[in-house]
Amino acid sequence: MTPTTKIYDPHAARGVSGFLSDLWVGLSMVELWRAFAWDEIQHRYRRSALGISWIVLSFLMFVAGVSFFFAGFSGRGVESFVAYVAIGYAAFIFITGNFVDGCQVFTSSSVWIKAMSLPYSVHVYRSLFRSLLTFVLQMVVVIPILVWAGIRPGAVTLLFVPAVLVYLLNAVAVQYLLGLVAARFQDIGHLVTSIVRLMIFVTPILWVREGLEGARALAADLNPLTHYVEIFRAPLLGELPRSTSWLVVVALTVAVWGVVAMVAAAFRRRLPYWL
Amino acid sequence: MSRILVDNLVVTYPLFNRAKSSLDTQTAPLDAGEDFGGAHKRLVRDRRGYVTGVRALDGVSFRVEEGERIGLVGANGSGKTTLLQVLAGIYPPAQGRVRVEGRTTSLVNINLGMSSEATGNKNITLRGLASGRTRSEIEARRAEIAAFAGLGEFIDLPVSTYSAGMRMRLNFAIATAFEPEVLILDEWLSAGDAKFRKAAAKRMVEFVGQAGILILASHSASLLQENCTRGLWLDDGQLRFDGPIEEVLKAYEQDGNRLVGAAARA
Repeated sequence: MTPTTKIYDPHAARGVSGFLSDLWVGLSMVELWRAFAWDEIQHRYRRSALGISWIVLSFLMFVAGVSFFFAGFSGRGVESFVAYVAIGYAAFIFITGNFVDGCQVFTSSSVWIKAMSLPYSVHVYRSLFRSLLTFVLQMVVVIPILVWAGIRPGAVTLLFVPAVLVYLLNAVAVQYLLGLVAARFQDIGHLVTSIVRLMIFVTPILWVREGLEGARALAADLNPLTHYVEIFRAPLLGELPRSTSWLVVVALTVAVWGVVAMVAAAFRRRLPYWL
Repeated sequence: MSRILVDNLVVTYPLFNRAKSSLDTQTAPLDAGEDFGGAHKRLVRDRRGYVTGVRALDGVSFRVEEGERIGLVGANGSGKTTLLQVLAGIYPPAQGRVRVEGRTTSLVNINLGMSSEATGNKNITLRGLASGRTRSEIEARRAEIAAFAGLGEFIDLPVSTYSAGMRMRLNFAIATAFEPEVLILDEWLSAGDAKFRKAAAKRMVEFVGQAGILILASHSASLLQENCTRGLWLDDGQLRFDGPIEEVLKAYEQDGNRLVGAAARA
């Protein structure tokens, strides 16, 4: 007889340590969540002729359209503004995508959650892997734009690496948290979608924060997304991100993880009953 | 080494839409709620009389040792499926203790645990990976699973094109292919055609020979007699009788006759 391989014991996993083991064991099942993600991507684009190239196409259409209409108002050169929009929009799509995806990360996986005892985090990594793929494809498009805009990589460029790591760290916490909350309270999904729709206008993606004064500059700074986008976009444009932005991001990351740890410790085991 | 320990298990499904039972408990005849085995006792209410949940299992305790084959009997809604899902680790119990030692595979609902847009082959991969198997272990079993499921070329089509019987065969083939130590099966097994039932019974005999634990819920006395040694009778979410399968089936049948007789006299 084969030795007992206990991959995951849902009965024993309680409290914060249960949440952490859920995250850890789920992470170790790389093959599974990658397979889930590929499967999802495949059937999302299976019947379209251009398939996955739509991710790149729709991104280019947005960047081109926005640059055409807004470049004149920005106070930056056209080339520099195109790069600014492209990077900022890719970052924005990734961040807000995690909010929208997070709301359905567990409800859309109920077929699996109600069939097998797997760490719930597997579904979070599945969802994250898929949005990361979109992000990477868009960043591949950004590289020639940066070259065209005449922005040369320097030492400051490397600061985008910690920004991506922080993005991933936040994404796991946000998706897990919203996944749980939205499974219990179905209104959350609608609320989040409505807020995200508004965020594109109040975050400096289509416009430039520098040069704003008074109430509008303050409003931009009160929006956490401003800082999240800033820490990624600034280094790629060869600029040093403001330390305020990093401070805000680190503080929020700690806060989000604190909240998700508490919520998951208390309610994670109720998830299948809510689906 | 496989073993199951269940101690004072309570499972309550929450209900969020604040239903108020249309059955007025003050004016209805006393036995009105008892048609379905005293269903009113299982509804959990808040102080204003709103139903906030359904108690599916109420203080169930038992233990199962290696090599035991358990047959689960009980009326519709007695908690059989819930018990299976808790043992499978799908529903973590809010109260009570459940300990399942051994690699567990469960087949409770044939519509779950499959991605319906993916092909049969892809689902074999997904389920294998989800059961903690490596790619090479899955490839080694793929031909065997496909053969047992008898899907022919359908194995490369999306599962959404399958008939209910095909889904069931594929599901059963995958679930039993990776040598689980604890196998949990719900009553849908008896819904298969004669050929499938025979093949499935043969698989179960093989499995039981490997000294694993089998938990099988069914309304078919013959299926239970063939495959089980011990019986558990669930009644209204409580364990009413635990003993050799023959005795449990006999007592369960007598109780059914008594109820039918009582209804006929009324």
